[in-house]
Amino acid sequence: MRSTRRDRRQLLGMAYATPLAVIVGVFFLVPLALVMWMSLHDWPLLGEPTINLPANYTRIADNSLFVDAVWFTLTYTIIVTVVLFTAAFGLALLVQRHRPGVGLFRTAFFLPGAVGFATASLLFYGLLSRDLGPLNPILSALGIINKPVSWVSGSPNLALASSIGLVVWRFAGFNMLILLTGLQAIPEDVYEAATVDGAGRWQQFIRITVPLLRPTIALVLILMLTGSLLAFDQFYILTNGGPDNSTTSVVMVIVREAFTRFDLGSAAAVSVVVLATLIMFNVLQLQVLRRGDRPEDR
Amino acid sequence: MVWGGSGCGKSKEAKPSGNPDDGTKITMWTRAATETQSKLLVDAYNASHKNKVELTPIPTDNYAQKIATAAGGKSLPDLFAADVIFAPNYTSKHLFLDITARIDALPFKDSLAPAHIKLGTYQGKKYAVPHTLDLSVIFWNKDLYTKAGLDPEKGPTTLKELAEHAKKIQALGGDIAGTTEAGNCGGCGVFTLWPSVWAAGGDVMNAEGTQGTLDTPQVKAVMSIWRQLYADGIAEPGSKDEQGPTWVGRFQSGKVGVAPMPSTTLAMMEGAGLKVGVIPIPGPDGGQSTFVGGDVLGISATSEHADAAWDFLAWSLSEAAQVEVLAKHKDLIARTDLAENKYSAADPRVVTTLKVIAQGRTPFALNFNQTFNDPQGPWLATLRGALFGPDLDKALADGNAKVTASLSQK
Amino acid sequence: MSAVTRSPGGRTGYYTTMTALAILFLFPLVWAGWASVKPTPGSGQQSGYGFGNFVALAHYGHGLPTYFLNSAVVAVMTVIGTLVVSVPAGYAFARFRFPGRDLLFLATLAILMVPYPTLLIPLYVLLGWLGLQNSLVGLALVLMMFQLPFAAFIMRNSFEAVPRELDEAAMLDGCSSFQVLTRILLHAVRPGIVTVALFAFLASWSDFVVPLILISSPDKSPLPVAVVNMQQRVFGSIDYAVLEAGVVVLALPCVLLFLILQRGYVRGFMSGSLRG
Repeated sequence: MRSTRRDRRQLLGMAYATPLAVIVGVFFLVPLALVMWMSLHDWPLLGEPTINLPANYTRIADNSLFVDAVWFTLTYTIIVTVVLFTAAFGLALLVQRHRPGVGLFRTAFFLPGAVGFATASLLFYGLLSRDLGPLNPILSALGIINKPVSWVSGSPNLALASSIGLVVWRFAGFNMLILLTGLQAIPEDVYEAATVDGAGRWQQFIRITVPLLRPTIALVLILMLTGSLLAFDQFYILTNGGPDNSTTSVVMVIVREAFTRFDLGSAAAVSVVVLATLIMFNVLQLQVLRRGDRPEDR
Repeated sequence: MVWGGSGCGKSKEAKPSGNPDDGTKITMWTRAATETQSKLLVDAYNASHKNKVELTPIPTDNYAQKIATAAGGKSLPDLFAADVIFAPNYTSKHLFLDITARIDALPFKDSLAPAHIKLGTYQGKKYAVPHTLDLSVIFWNKDLYTKAGLDPEKGPTTLKELAEHAKKIQALGGDIAGTTEAGNCGGCGVFTLWPSVWAAGGDVMNAEGTQGTLDTPQVKAVMSIWRQLYADGIAEPGSKDEQGPTWVGRFQSGKVGVAPMPSTTLAMMEGAGLKVGVIPIPGPDGGQSTFVGGDVLGISATSEHADAAWDFLAWSLSEAAQVEVLAKHKDLIARTDLAENKYSAADPRVVTTLKVIAQGRTPFALNFNQTFNDPQGPWLATLRGALFGPDLDKALADGNAKVTASLSQK
Repeated sequence: MSAVTRSPGGRTGYYTTMTALAILFLFPLVWAGWASVKPTPGSGQQSGYGFGNFVALAHYGHGLPTYFLNSAVVAVMTVIGTLVVSVPAGYAFARFRFPGRDLLFLATLAILMVPYPTLLIPLYVLLGWLGLQNSLVGLALVLMMFQLPFAAFIMRNSFEAVPRELDEAAMLDGCSSFQVLTRILLHAVRPGIVTVALFAFLASWSDFVVPLILISSPDKSPLPVAVVNMQQRVFGSIDYAVLEAGVVVLALPCVLLFLILQRGYVRGFMSGSLRG
């Protein structure tokens, strides 16, 4: 009796998950398999591919541009995740209170998300332009700088800061919203009970808010970390990977292999390596963040 | 592994008729940067022929990506334009159809811009014809010249003279700059600096495009002049980090005295209210040259409408198209035998530009893009090292080694 | 929610901070709006303030209405598709155990871990096999796929946050699993659904690279591709006036949509459906 019910539940579960399985299978796994297949070949644009395993993979280590890009991407990921998470979480905490006008503030923070990332990058390029953008005149007028600064390519640090500024502007609101959804799901009563028990605001934050927010924090961190490791548009458009290749990311190297050198096999190989790394990394991350948190299946 | 079998879902070519103008639909891709000229030709062709060309402009920065994807999916359009310096890359990858016989049958085949034909030739076979032309020339701002006490009708005839003119203009003060360059843009540097090297009798690489010759006296002479301009603040300091998007806009703002610019931007500059003088790019002590850029057009190797596509190609090079469409619109034409036509004679600057095509070059290299245009390539690093780095000789020597390695990479 | 400081000093401090932050976030967009109407030499708006650049945008190629409509159609299809796929999937992940569940979830998340330029060529080929090349439907399916990691994760979290007592009470009343979903749970996970729909819309409305690669006919191009085409001039130089106009046109529907949905959001939270 019990096993029939369990089987029925299993079938039902599979039925509900089928549309997802179909789309993921057809539109993701099939192309992915193709990419893996391509990584084993010398793949010309037109004409027949020839197997060249393991050349595409062994040449990766010799690609100095790639090696430097890995270091840069890792550094960038750590910095931007810390900054972006702090900003998004801070904003979420600020806008969760039901004060008059908070809806307007929420909209203001989220609005940059209404612009596509490629367009946002171009927008920032104009905004930060040393001679044609408004930033330098405004900062001079305020007395913060005394001569024009080249924000986007004056130095590696400036280029990095500009990219981080763009990303925070564009994505803080987006992540704020996700965190807000999670924050709003925590019932008032829990806080009220804690206040009655004498817990202060900070204690409530650490003992109630953060633990209950874990699944949401997990999602946000996965999105941020993975997104940063795969960062492309902001460097491609805003800094061009410069100055002097100081902001060249891993995906930029992949795109260069594919669409500048037209070496599709090599691009595919690097992509496979990146994917494998990210999968391992995210499996670890998911286990750490979700540990002891899954509601028991009854 | 074979994928995307050709012919699946596509209409077969119309039965071969004697007349290639039989109402076929021809697909053509062009770069957004040259859309205007392509569209003029396409519209004129469609109005006077049964065939119809469907033109799709593609964002310039993503053009290579689109071509690569379409090639990978074996569904290139019938015709596609290509930046002329990338043509060797495309022809060596067999993306274009061999049209040697068709080109050689044209009565005016010897008057087609030689630089473009050369770049469209691979291993003795011809694959592409000139489509649009863009040359690098020196623009000077006549009003600023007058203000600085220079003769507004006389542009610089040597690079050293350019430096002197720029210095006088810089002295006007305010936010006026003597000259400008795009200090963080490899492709711009190629376009504006190499002609000075050619004018001085030198070159940046060998004829086959497999070895760099950047550590030669002519290159050094040109670089040191520009290096000095930056060191003295005569070249706009902000342009040191210019990646390209706002490079032309700097001159257009009216705040720059004299600088190398693309010839096709002349109309835009005048539209902004500037009075512009045009002169070919000189070498350090004289001579003249230009970078003959622009686009070539070819039939894709997988096209099923080659005859109809050729009909458009051939027509685009005819007098009707070159003179009555392009020249009338004040665009440069690809045929040297039509250089002096009723429209070009109207503006002496156009005549100047057309005449210098004969002294201009389009450098040939299979790996041009990844070496010279790509921001991650070795040329940009060499350029920046030479202009802004501590040691000019070392920058050129080291850079040349890396450039050679990239040019000869398989 | 944490206890709120109601002192006047705290309140002024709050509003000052918030206003300063709001200005910081809004400034680039405001600048874009201003730059799209100010006089710029060589643009559609040569002298004086006005909408010349917008006029130029409207007349480009096949006309603004065509591109706008293409974008709208693709966005709507993507949103509907994403919801139809991710809501039941979230339900399945949260409430059911079945073989391959975790593997499917990981496979879905893996979509985030592949650099999207890598998938573009195989996707292009795949759409050709399915007869969906150069079609808005094909484009919507691909854009939907890219939304699924985020959507599935949000829906799973949303369903998991609903106490199981609700399910069990309904099932005791004789509801089937489908009825539990439609009658009870859908309302409880409404904020999640709204979030997923909103983000799916925004992503598909403003995406540039995927439609660029998958659509070849100019009359089927969505708005972002047309706008970028308009901007790009000789030697990589950008027509900034048109860019700003394009930004305004692209952002406006998203702004309106968000403002409208905002009210539903707040109400959803305040209705207390999530209180234990």
